[in-house]
Amino acid sequence: MKWDEFFVTGEPMIYAAMVSIVVVSLAIPIALTYFKKWNWLWTNWLTTVDHKKIGVMYVLAALLMLFRGGVDALLMRAQTAIPDNGLLDGQHYNEIFTTHGVIMILFMAMPFIIGLMNVVIPLQIGARDVAFPRLNAISFWLFFAGAMLFNISFVIGGSPDAGWSAYFPLASLEFSPTVGNNYYSLALQIAGIGTLLTGINFLVTILKMRAPGMTLMKMPMFTWSVLITNVIIVFAFPVLTVALALMTLDRQFGTQFFAMQSGGMDMLWANLFWVWGHPEVYIVILPAFGIYSEIISTFARKNLYGYKSMVVSMVAISLLSFVVWAHHFYTMGHGVMVNSVFSITTMAIAIPTGVKIFNWLFTLRKGKISFTTPMLYALAFIPIFTIGGVTGVMLAMASADYQYHNTMFLVAHFHYVLIPGTVFGVIAGFHYWFPKVFGFMLNEKLGKLSFWFIIISFNVTFFPLFILGLNGMTRRMYTYSESTGYGPLNMLSMVGAVGLAIGFIILVYNIYWSVRYSPRNIKGDPWDARSLEWSTHSPVPEYNFALIPTVNKLDAHWFAKKEGKSLTSGKYEPIHMPNNSGLPIIMGAAFFLWGFFMVFSWWIPAIILGVVILGTMAYRSFEKDHGHYISVEEIERTENALRGEQHEN
Amino acid sequence: MKIDHSVPLEYSTEENKMKILGFWIFLGAEIALFSTLFAVYFTLQTNTNVGPSASDLFHLSPVMIETILLLSSSFTIGLGVHAMRLGLKKPMMTFFGITLVLGAAFLGVEVYEFVTYVGEGATIQTSGFLSALFTLLGTHGLHVTFGLLWGGSILLQIKKRGFTPETANKSFIFSLYWHFLDVVWIFIFSFVYLKGLM
Amino acid sequence: MKQLFPAQHVLGFLFSLLLTLVALVTVWFDLSFAAGLTILVVTAIVQASLQLFLFMHVKENAESKTLYMNILYALFVGLVTIFGTLFTMHWGYMVK
Repeated sequence: MKWDEFFVTGEPMIYAAMVSIVVVSLAIPIALTYFKKWNWLWTNWLTTVDHKKIGVMYVLAALLMLFRGGVDALLMRAQTAIPDNGLLDGQHYNEIFTTHGVIMILFMAMPFIIGLMNVVIPLQIGARDVAFPRLNAISFWLFFAGAMLFNISFVIGGSPDAGWSAYFPLASLEFSPTVGNNYYSLALQIAGIGTLLTGINFLVTILKMRAPGMTLMKMPMFTWSVLITNVIIVFAFPVLTVALALMTLDRQFGTQFFAMQSGGMDMLWANLFWVWGHPEVYIVILPAFGIYSEIISTFARKNLYGYKSMVVSMVAISLLSFVVWAHHFYTMGHGVMVNSVFSITTMAIAIPTGVKIFNWLFTLRKGKISFTTPMLYALAFIPIFTIGGVTGVMLAMASADYQYHNTMFLVAHFHYVLIPGTVFGVIAGFHYWFPKVFGFMLNEKLGKLSFWFIIISFNVTFFPLFILGLNGMTRRMYTYSESTGYGPLNMLSMVGAVGLAIGFIILVYNIYWSVRYSPRNIKGDPWDARSLEWSTHSPVPEYNFALIPTVNKLDAHWFAKKEGKSLTSGKYEPIHMPNNSGLPIIMGAAFFLWGFFMVFSWWIPAIILGVVILGTMAYRSFEKDHGHYISVEEIERTENALRGEQHEN
Repeated sequence: MKIDHSVPLEYSTEENKMKILGFWIFLGAEIALFSTLFAVYFTLQTNTNVGPSASDLFHLSPVMIETILLLSSSFTIGLGVHAMRLGLKKPMMTFFGITLVLGAAFLGVEVYEFVTYVGEGATIQTSGFLSALFTLLGTHGLHVTFGLLWGGSILLQIKKRGFTPETANKSFIFSLYWHFLDVVWIFIFSFVYLKGLM
Repeated sequence: MKQLFPAQHVLGFLFSLLLTLVALVTVWFDLSFAAGLTILVVTAIVQASLQLFLFMHVKENAESKTLYMNILYALFVGLVTIFGTLFTMHWGYMVK
């Protein structure tokens, strides 16, 4: 490999990106040194095993990735806004729609969801941490290593360009000879291992660490949704692991899995990808359903309607999500039988989803609704998501799908599902739980302003794509001629995209404004909410609960408030907490370097890093680490300080 | 840390119970992983291109040796856990040691088998069938290799620290892993080798 | 010495060797494909359950219900992956 091939060259936009990467990566250490924050960063954040801090880091990374993926999206919309546009060439456009998809699903939606899970789940079940705090930190650093590895492909070696689904034969060495798709297979592999470990961790946490008295059917709905989600994670991600490993083998070791000429099958990749890929859709959407359930019930001041049917429908979705994958490639050439079977299973998923929609509507009925920012997102979600769902049923009809397949109609459909479903969900959750973590609220006025920008612009951006798709515009085409007549609607979509960007910028400004000016005198329960996380202080102390609450029914915190009772009793005892560790970030760094060397097929350094990774595991195995205790005096001091601060104001 | 003496040492703390449950869930994920590899193998098994087919390639005797080695190692590690529950350190270490030796022997035969295949012109690059075969067998073999390293480090810890809730827990979890590899091998033996020779 | 070799384990081991021999019937004799496959499926399932119940002590775990759910879910996903893939990529592929 020559150096001029190593760095991506010849594009002014990429030079600008290189300059900004260099500037940022110099600015951060300089600023840290100048403000003497290295030690603070290392002990408080980089080595932390505290689920709340890990959650915050996930969400921070997800917000960063939201902007990276968002810039990709803006570039795409700008390129297609007018016919025969020359802003981007075909290759660049291919890279951008590929990275947009991968980043938004795997490095934005997933970490945002997992971040909220991390912050909320132990609090909601009355636990002091997750089951395996150290493993949790490892999960985060593996995700982060994967995300960074994927992102540097932009300037070193070139980005993947075969779509986020990386179909063969296009993604094979023959048709994608750059290292771009090596980045794809290895970065996703590393992040995927982290996700699998998260799945195991949270399953054990929810199954084994609930507060006394909290049986499965007394868990808050968000906890239920996360339980089901992690079941799907544990059983779906191994399929991705295998698919990506086979991709690496095919591209870098000359195997014949997906090569047509030597007895491979190109469509086998599509098959494996979607065996994981469709459950993945539910992995990012079910927790959002859980968030909406919490928010709707809190701000309608009513208990959730149809609790049991909510649980049953989620279990049904978790099973059905594994039997629908072939609807992603109805047109690949399998027979009537296959298409019929998958058509029916796909439509069947609309039933449990419909049950959930009606449950939310019935929860709202006769409720005393307060229109807070999180509630607005939840209310907007219901009709918009329904449009996404109904167009999904249209696509589920195999024979009709031949008309829509790979058109902008499909693009509009999945944005109508994933944005109101996942993105609005995590933003709603972000506003909702923000005061719990930081001890002050986000500004409601700015929150509502950004809400209206986002909601209106979203529809302006994506509704025209339905019509464009039905008119025959295919996805992933980087330009079109004026005679097609696609111009005006694409321009409208571009206008919407700019509005979306403004909405998200207001959201970030809201964070900045609230950090500076928001009043700090909130109590533990600023929203007057229902579940256990609101029964402790805001911000939450390191040990979460000074005394573990005892629960006897669903929404126990709500009823305790109404009846003026306390969920806790007894005296403080020393609390056992896990120690911080530098090992997870070292493992993350080792995986990052290993991945990087693998991408370029530099075997000797890759093998050395492989040995280093094994070494870190062995070190962990031999290490004796029994955690530490927080003394009763320290608990009293912390509790008094948290109470005192609130009374002063 | 509370230690409950009414159950075996490996279950004696809350943390130990969670680790065992977590590992079972991990094994669930491993079932999904190997199922996917089997799915790939079954899909590609007749796509032999210019290379040999399953019945050309497979010989019964090395496979039988591998099977008996692995079944025996599964038996000895079971005895090892039994000895651990009796609190007998030396027999436990002996049984675990035998298990690892049998595992190493299994790997030796597998490597010999691979070398033979390659000598017959059947490499991982020859055909879809062979890519899938080598990947399925290789993934299992890598698991065994990792098991040897892991089991070795546990033996060292038992030697140095004796039976504690931590070391007992690790040994038990390692035994679950080892039995699981045996289960995977049974399916490889039945549905790759015997079905190929049938 | 005797307490190191509990009868259950020894019998289980012998039984697993026996099952291996039974499976070999499919190679030694000229059976039909269906008959051979049936034998393989039965012996493999029995072997796997032997490991699960005898050596992996699945029953003694206080959480055994969760473990069964876990295994059943894994088997569901695994079998769907195997047979679903064969269905889409083989039996139902390019069928007119």
